[in-house]
Amino acid sequence: MASITSKLYSDDVSLLVVLLDTNPFLWSGENTTTNSLSFPKFLTHVFSFLNSILLLNQLNQVVVIATGLNSCDYIYDSSSSPTTVESLENGRMPALCSKLLQNLEEFLARDQELNKDESPPGIASSLLSGSLSLALCYIQKVFRSGPLHPQPRILCLQGSSDGPEQYVAIMNAIFSAQRSMVPIDACVIGAQHSAFLQQASYITGGVYLKPPQLDGLFQYLSTVFSTDLQSRSFLQLPKPVGVDFRASCFCHKKTIDMGYICSVCLSIFCLSLVRLTLVLLQLQTGRGRLQNPSSILD
Amino acid sequence: MPQVKIIAKNFMDMVAALPAMKLDKLYDNTFICEAVLRSLPPLAKKYALQMLYIDVPVPVKSMEEWVLPDGFSKHRVAIDRLIQLRVFIENTDRKRETSYLLHPKFKSNLQKYLVYGGVLPREPMPSNITVRLPTLEELDAYALEQWECFLLQLISSSHAERLTNFSPSMMKVFQRGLLSQREKGPRLTESGFQFLLMDTNAQLWYIIREYISNSEDRGLDPADLISFLLELSFHATGEAYNINTLTEIQRSIIKDLADLGVVKLQQGRKESWFIPTKLATNLSVSLSDSSSRKQGLVVVETNFRMYAYSSSKLHCEILRLFSRVEYQLPNLIVGAITKESLYNAFENGITAEQASINMPLALESLLLFFFQSCRNIFFTSRSNILIGLKSSLVVGVPRFWMVWCLNFLYFLVYGFMGFTHLPQEGIGMIAPVN
Repeated sequence: MASITSKLYSDDVSLLVVLLDTNPFLWSGENTTTNSLSFPKFLTHVFSFLNSILLLNQLNQVVVIATGLNSCDYIYDSSSSPTTVESLENGRMPALCSKLLQNLEEFLARDQELNKDESPPGIASSLLSGSLSLALCYIQKVFRSGPLHPQPRILCLQGSSDGPEQYVAIMNAIFSAQRSMVPIDACVIGAQHSAFLQQASYITGGVYLKPPQLDGLFQYLSTVFSTDLQSRSFLQLPKPVGVDFRASCFCHKKTIDMGYICSVCLSIFCLSLVRLTLVLLQLQTGRGRLQNPSSILD
Repeated sequence: MPQVKIIAKNFMDMVAALPAMKLDKLYDNTFICEAVLRSLPPLAKKYALQMLYIDVPVPVKSMEEWVLPDGFSKHRVAIDRLIQLRVFIENTDRKRETSYLLHPKFKSNLQKYLVYGGVLPREPMPSNITVRLPTLEELDAYALEQWECFLLQLISSSHAERLTNFSPSMMKVFQRGLLSQREKGPRLTESGFQFLLMDTNAQLWYIIREYISNSEDRGLDPADLISFLLELSFHATGEAYNINTLTEIQRSIIKDLADLGVVKLQQGRKESWFIPTKLATNLSVSLSDSSSRKQGLVVVETNFRMYAYSSSKLHCEILRLFSRVEYQLPNLIVGAITKESLYNAFENGITAEQASINMPLALESLLLFFFQSCRNIFFTSRSNILIGLKSSLVVGVPRFWMVWCLNFLYFLVYGFMGFTHLPQEGIGMIAPVN
């Protein structure tokens, strides 16, 4: 597990990227856990939490990315101002709520447009891999903005179940976050635990929490997730009991416990297609000799 | 330099030293609550935040359970700070168990902040009235110029081109502790030198602290001053605010602040307004933020000549303290570190480490060696025994004879002073510096 070593900073200035799960199937009442927390109530908890982050330090920055069903987008950036170009050391707190809500509405309308034709069964998973990538891109931009920049971290507020088809993309995002020493925190508001987010917070050194009482979400957020990275080394933060390290196979996108791994490219397969794909890969990498092309199709 | 932080953080100590009644009155103001929260150490901020919506007292043991064993000292520092500022109120119940509760006014003000977001203390003036507003760069340049002019007047009144509007008695108050009166004129003390090496934020806090502690003699209530200053830090840089919205007391303070470069005063046809500069909004930024530090370059050669790429008169004055400035070009200051300049510096109590902080890191070791070798011969602790032969190595006197004389004299002194006074490594230092 990568430990978070603060690079050169002595401040507690932080950049928090919040990934909000806006999956309509999650919030529309089919899921019993989130029945106790409706989307508007959830948003009030989140707004208060964002205000508290901006309160703690004048230079703190907050970016909100919405994770939709088919797309993701930046919803809010506290360092950008609509009217004039103002520097960060302004001391002004923009009207967070109205801007955020407006952008969120527009995003949801756009997301729904993309969804018109299909009707996926059950609760579809939201596009976590996309929003993780967007967050990491923003953080990389901040890293390159100069010698003095806030310490970034990512907070995922996720409720939808994991989509095994996103396994590869999510793992890639997790490893690149580990490389850049950006911790990924996770606060799961859905019914079941999320294996991907457990792995993410374990590998990057973040905190994983599934609050038992969603009515007090703000208290959980402010107690566990509001501390800056340097102070975290002195605090007892929740640790998950066990981490679900199961992978999903690349062929059927099913979660598997046992499988086959190609020694060349490390891709994971369940039993059925292993011979075919391995041979194809050998062809691609130029290894192996092919005597009879028709033998491939056996 | 931990000592620097102590001087600058004392502003909040001053707030904490106010009597309980006055502090409670101060917490009626939302901006003060925000500023106090932002000034707390990070762990204390977390504690304050998590207690915001808890109505029952939290026992001490529960608070301690949050901390890992090696963070316990930080925990104690945070809790002490919170109690000092009366943000946390301790109560002991009948079972002799202490518990903490958040100050009620503080709590309600911050809850309002969380729900409604931050608001500005006053509305900026509409742009059709305010014409000729300076741009942000012009404002920064103005603030810097005013601040440097003030500092120049502070350390050497003779060199200042333009005097600020501060009365001589006010300047004396500021100079107290930084300058000392000598026969040749006011000279900078060790704490004065430390002051000059602090970054602008810390210097500003120091001056404001002196200003506030002096305000009682002038009949102003320090609590009012503190609340106005903290409120000022929440204004937006570059926006104009009407002076009529200020009270009488605040108007007199604003004039002094304009001299420091914290605000800029402008006059329209009917109204006059003030524009907060970056110095104002930086008042509540954390003290370890170094973004306001000026960039400059000082090159020191092995023959102890020094080139400083700066056009600031203040830098010239600082360099004059321990080096001999030879000539000054529009963007370059050329000087040399000589024995006379070092004598002056050591007389004033400037130690080797302080002087070397001003120099770029690569040459620090060289300079430190030089200073330390001089110091070893000079027998530090500010005694005036100056055996300056060592530094004749700077001048190109024939080294062989000098070394011989030096060794001879060293033995003489050695005999007089006795073994105990000599630092052992001093003996090894008697060698030509190549």
